[in-house]
Amino acid sequence: MAQHACELSFLSRSDGSALYSIGLNVALASVNGPGDVKVSNRLYNRSHLEVCYSPSTGHSMIRERALESVIMRTVEQAILVHLHPRTAINITIQEMQSDGLALSASVNAACMALLDAGIQMKTTFAAVTCCITPSGTVIIDPTEAEIQESVAEATFVFESSGEASVLTAHQDGRLSYEDFKKCLHHCQVASKDVFAFYRRMTEKKYQNEIES
Amino acid sequence: MSGRGGRIESLGVVLPGDKVLQLDSEDCAKEIFLGPGLRRHESIVYATRSGPLKKTSQNIYYIDNYQRRYTPLQGQFVVGIVYKKKGDNYIIDIGGSEYALLSLLCFENAPKKARKEMRPGELVFGQLLVAERDMEPELVCLDVCNNAVGIGPLPEGGLMFTVPLHVTREILDPQSTLLKKLSSLVECMVVVGSNGRVWVAAQEQRHMLAIMNCLKLLEVMTKQEAEQNVYRYFKKFLH
Repeated sequence: MAQHACELSFLSRSDGSALYSIGLNVALASVNGPGDVKVSNRLYNRSHLEVCYSPSTGHSMIRERALESVIMRTVEQAILVHLHPRTAINITIQEMQSDGLALSASVNAACMALLDAGIQMKTTFAAVTCCITPSGTVIIDPTEAEIQESVAEATFVFESSGEASVLTAHQDGRLSYEDFKKCLHHCQVASKDVFAFYRRMTEKKYQNEIES
Repeated sequence: MSGRGGRIESLGVVLPGDKVLQLDSEDCAKEIFLGPGLRRHESIVYATRSGPLKKTSQNIYYIDNYQRRYTPLQGQFVVGIVYKKKGDNYIIDIGGSEYALLSLLCFENAPKKARKEMRPGELVFGQLLVAERDMEPELVCLDVCNNAVGIGPLPEGGLMFTVPLHVTREILDPQSTLLKKLSSLVECMVVVGSNGRVWVAAQEQRHMLAIMNCLKLLEVMTKQEAEQNVYRYFKKFLH
């Protein structure tokens, strides 16, 4: 598994922000909310979620819209949206560097930024990407080169509760059912390390409280 | 938040989704209060925010997290900025997702002749009478006995700045000596709103800036460190 690193409250003007990196992939997520919302987006019983994804180079196109949709549906399952009716929560993700794991880095950055902002959530969530080589080996957190050589690539987002249910699954390539289960199992095991990393980062943020 | 003379126990850092308490039927005799950041689902209490879990001596559990965004809560005192006047109400920006209403009648000495009109951009210190998730927040500048008790429009000539919400809680902690030490150094008036806005007034502008920087120290150091070093930092900020 690649090295994960994170810096919380990276942006001074956001309610919450996180600069998250997995290996050479870096994503910056910024969360603002619960705040004001346009009348057209106002929902009477819950908060309106907006995700905006900016690629590192070029304009935002269909690929970015697809990523926004995946991240939105993931985040929607974690945030307690019914606590903030008639508000909007905006998540903006800027892809700083990409080496094949843009989705994982963005989802994890979004989770850490939401924790930093103090928005109430049911659970934390962690994304793990793996690819399967032609020889059948599963590689967790592959590089772009390894993904190009692989037969299939899959990203799973897990929640932090005991059974580690899958919140989102995104798969590309041809996978047999057995291989799919193998990938899922490997990712599930790797997700425990990501949750442990979140816990270490949170403890670091509050270390003044722990000491005093 | 401090227990009146009681101890606050720190129970470690939690993440959303962590099981904090298991409420068994045998514990029915005990009264447990769940504060901000916790929610109950059947017989288990879960954390909904990340942060240190704390427990007061009166069995109040809460999560004391660091946050910038304010969500209005009934009974809190907040510093608001007048946005405009609409009919019989002022529309006030309190930093939440919605503007708050402040009725023209909710000031001491409300009869029309004695009333002083507030213009957009002026500051007001009020208490939240109504602050539900489904309703528009409402402010009042009176207490239950219809007295002003130090709340109302703030005089001109002060300095308002924003701090994270946990810093306002630390400043307002009865056991904190930071404000007492600052007031012994220079004559000043400090109004702390639970919405993260602090207003300071002093004789000279450099005094106000020094007080602002001393209070902002709490953003980067612990309460104890800030209190011990405030005299030294104040002298530095004054130049």
